[in-house]
Amino acid sequence: MALATEEKAKEKKGSQSELAKGEQRLAYWLLVPTLVILLAIAFYPLGSVFYSSFTNDTFASEVETDFVGFQNYSDLLSITFAELPQELDDSGQPVIDPDTGEPEYLSPVQVLPRQPRAYREVFTFGLFGNQYVLGATDADFVLSIIDTLIFTVTTIILEVIIGLGIALVLNVPFRGRGSMRAAMLVPWAILTAVSSRIWEWMFIDTRAGLFNIVFQNLGLTDGQTAFLANESFQLPAAIIIDVWKTTPFMALLLLAGLALIPSELYEAADVDGASKWNQFTSITLPLLRPTLAVALVFRTLDALRVFDLFQIVFAQSKYSMASFAYYELIDSQRLGYSSAASVVIFLLITIFAVVYIRSLGIGEDD
Amino acid sequence: MTEATDVTAPPEEIYDASDSLVVRKRKRKERWGRVGFWALIVLIAIFLLFPFYWAINSSLKTEPQLRMTPGTFIPRDPSTGGIDITFQNYEAVFQNDAFIRAVINSTIVAVTVTVIALVIGAFAGFALGKLRFRGKRASLYLILSMTMFPQVAVLTGLYAVILNFGIPAIPSMILSYMLFTLPFTVWVLTSFFQQLPMDLLQSAQVDGATPFQSFRMILLPLTAPALVTTGLLAFIAAVNEYLFALTFTTIEPDARTIPVAIALFTGQVARQEPFGEIMAAAVLVTIPLVILVLIFQKRIIGGLTAGAVKG
Amino acid sequence: MKRNWLVALIALMLVLAACGGDGGTDTTEDGGTDTTQAGDGGDGEEITLRILSGNVGAEFESNEIAADLFMEQNPGITVEVVATPDFVEDRLGQYLQLFEAQSPEGDVFQIDVIWPGDLAEHLIDLNEYGGADEVAGHFPAIVENNTVDGKLLGVPWFTDAGLLYYRTDLLEKYNLDPPETWAELEAAATTIQEGERADGNQDFWGFVWQGNAYEGLTCDALEWVASAGGGSIIEPDGTITINNDAAIEVVNQAAGWVGTISPPGVTSYGEEDARGVWQAGNAAFMRNWPYAFSLGNADDSEIAGMFDVSPLPGATSGQSAATLGGWQLAVSKYSEHPEEAAKLAFFMAGESEQKRRAIDYSLNPTIESLYEDAEVLEASPFFGDLFDVFTNAVARPSTVTAPNYSDVSSLFFNSVHSVLTGSADAEDAFLELELDLVDQTGFDTGSP
Repeated sequence: MALATEEKAKEKKGSQSELAKGEQRLAYWLLVPTLVILLAIAFYPLGSVFYSSFTNDTFASEVETDFVGFQNYSDLLSITFAELPQELDDSGQPVIDPDTGEPEYLSPVQVLPRQPRAYREVFTFGLFGNQYVLGATDADFVLSIIDTLIFTVTTIILEVIIGLGIALVLNVPFRGRGSMRAAMLVPWAILTAVSSRIWEWMFIDTRAGLFNIVFQNLGLTDGQTAFLANESFQLPAAIIIDVWKTTPFMALLLLAGLALIPSELYEAADVDGASKWNQFTSITLPLLRPTLAVALVFRTLDALRVFDLFQIVFAQSKYSMASFAYYELIDSQRLGYSSAASVVIFLLITIFAVVYIRSLGIGEDD
Repeated sequence: MTEATDVTAPPEEIYDASDSLVVRKRKRKERWGRVGFWALIVLIAIFLLFPFYWAINSSLKTEPQLRMTPGTFIPRDPSTGGIDITFQNYEAVFQNDAFIRAVINSTIVAVTVTVIALVIGAFAGFALGKLRFRGKRASLYLILSMTMFPQVAVLTGLYAVILNFGIPAIPSMILSYMLFTLPFTVWVLTSFFQQLPMDLLQSAQVDGATPFQSFRMILLPLTAPALVTTGLLAFIAAVNEYLFALTFTTIEPDARTIPVAIALFTGQVARQEPFGEIMAAAVLVTIPLVILVLIFQKRIIGGLTAGAVKG
Repeated sequence: MKRNWLVALIALMLVLAACGGDGGTDTTEDGGTDTTQAGDGGDGEEITLRILSGNVGAEFESNEIAADLFMEQNPGITVEVVATPDFVEDRLGQYLQLFEAQSPEGDVFQIDVIWPGDLAEHLIDLNEYGGADEVAGHFPAIVENNTVDGKLLGVPWFTDAGLLYYRTDLLEKYNLDPPETWAELEAAATTIQEGERADGNQDFWGFVWQGNAYEGLTCDALEWVASAGGGSIIEPDGTITINNDAAIEVVNQAAGWVGTISPPGVTSYGEEDARGVWQAGNAAFMRNWPYAFSLGNADDSEIAGMFDVSPLPGATSGQSAATLGGWQLAVSKYSEHPEEAAKLAFFMAGESEQKRRAIDYSLNPTIESLYEDAEVLEASPFFGDLFDVFTNAVARPSTVTAPNYSDVSSLFFNSVHSVLTGSADAEDAFLELELDLVDQTGFDTGSP
């Protein structure tokens, strides 16, 4: 792409290429402050994260540090699948659970290898009548990757839909629009630590919490539902909290993007008799694409690095990748291992970013 | 969404036609569209504001009121059930000098961070969005990559640098917050600049304006609403930051920012969490911010866009 | 006109930016001199000591008073009390960042009872400054806990231990005695819960405790296991004992409480969640630390005067166990004034200070004789009854497993949590836990 620019520049004649050179020089000068600031701040910290991810460095310790190559990564990411054999009684007959009538299986601990490295259960699942187990050398981290990815994809989809909806509504002139726009800031403006607390309180497992009051009044539950302790409610709760908190971010950015679309385009479309839906798909969406792309990149980045929410609401009962890295560093003081986890996060973000940038065409010359 | 846009249909259509059946049908559809639109607005407002209402509600309760079952939508006395509002949480927050000091610190840090990130980010965004040069995509990736690590990973290295150079807490926060605000402003502004039509710029160039002049006179005014939005988002991100602030202010209690000050709220004894006070502090921080945005919106965005659109 | 406005605004922004930038670099240089000044401090007359401690209203106030007293007695020394967050990971994180940088900025640190082992390499041996004499009258169990490889790393400051809170009014109503065994507690909790629910309080639960996957669960579960004669996970001699029948049985028993006498959400409870249910009058029994005592008796409490505390139940009567908690004062190895810092630590944890803190703030002393002190007992009568609980408290295996205690603990609480939530049964969970602990520590297994 840069090459094409250059060729285009070459094609032009003397004075124009002089102009192009000037433009190029100006561009570099304009970029210098940003790059200098960022590199000055980040070079050492980022470099040391990469470096220590290949060592067994202990945080806040003078214990000898060794270079361990990819050991940390292999400890973090090694997984294995195993089939769970049916439990057999002394006579060699499969044991049947008297309550459910289902056959019983050996527990994953008895099946997963422990030598040379111990694998622990991430989850078990049934397929074609057999039971399987996914084991990992670090089950917590592998589970945190799965959870964080589910969390990221779900929140992003919901935020785009709701955020775009809100932005479109608020782009229509109506009385009180200014106040609505300001109100929209509230969730984003509340400190993350506090907003997690508010929701934690609303999700509390007694009828001191909003959801238990409401569900009980609707006659759906007895008002004692443990939203944050129950495994199947945990991720949905985290997703709701995050969607509430960050949809305004999405909506505000999209609203600013909408404001940049020239109204003449819609007027012309109206004259041509295009339907609103057609206008939305042929004008709004394409022109909103760059803004949407940027919003997606930064929301994904934040979602994959989600930390406060998981730390406050779930402590160590459910990890996000970043809260895993945090507890590894602070509680276990394994700097090298924690750094490797951070690099994994970095790489995952890179994949997402590249996909967005490729498919949505950011930074292309138009 | 389609409902919402329906309402924008020019209203004159309704009135200039004769009172035929078709028109009446359309009128009815129009009315329902309007009802639907306002219902949507109310729904959005509830979605956005209800949890905040719950925070306000909680901030006006004492501990026993917070704990009572079933909880109440307005503070009530646990035994009699009568309405019983307390301001003790707000009093406690106002009496907390450390909190007031923290508000000042947060303002200094966040304003400085926002202004630097916006100005420098606008330079870079203009270059990346509107100028032709080699290595554009590489620059974008490089800038983004600075912000792709979880904070906890970068923290140790950063703090080592800060202690090594002996940088005081406030400048260290300002500098380190660049790590997440600057890539954001650069990227957003790049996309906004990129979206602007080229012809305005070209005509300015024909008129003999230098690229910098066209940036200042045409692009900046046109993107003012975008700049304000970006700045606002960056500002709030800077106010919200906790982990860096907590670490950098460990030995400099006077430089603590709002999130750190709130984390240091405690009850009378260890382990007691002063939930009501935390809520009161959150309300006290959020409401002025929203009012500021309201004022800002009317005066500044209004002024800027009105002057700018005609370029 | 509007255009001018805009240009002015942009100009203002640029100026601000320039100032901001300058400000940044300027202060950087100032900062440089700052540190050297701090470094020079040792040469002058005036010494500044920084103590990092809790920020809880009463504690912080008490520390400032103590600092003033110390400064009066030691002219030439300035003591700066720095508050740190009550949230344990935040506090530990702050300390570790300072230690990692080997910063001389912190002199005295308030450390948790489980930290001396893990932080050992950053702390000075207080015995070099006469620590042995200073800790002579303190609870031996805590002193032992704070001694790593013969070095005294912290002087005990105030202590904590798990207690059983029970509603006197409800026990009376249902004609029950305070339970001494877990089975009795189960029975009493069931009776009261059924009765109270029948009386219309549908939010009532029998027993609340700390079941979230965090250090608090290690404390609760250690109490169950130890009270059943199941050992203390890893014994002080370095034997892994957790995989035994008594431990498995008692944890299975506890798992049975979830959703019956304890709320299903108890597996996400911390101390404050439990107290929330308890203090709203919605629980008959609670396991918690002593802090809930004064809060429960506060004027606006629903249950003021309607409850009492006792040692936790055991598997059989009299086999009670309470997990040792509490805080120590330690001196950083990177302090430039270790001798003065040690003196400050000894002063703040000394008998007169502990007595003042016990009387004014109900902070449990670590000095045995204070539990017989008339003034102390007058201020906090329940101290006397709990003397046995405090002296016999079970320490978590933090010193023997150092510097890996937090890994050991998180293996343990995750294992117990998986049993409580029903995702594993105790037999499998403890079998795996034992294997993991062997991998983690390299210790041998044995019976308790």
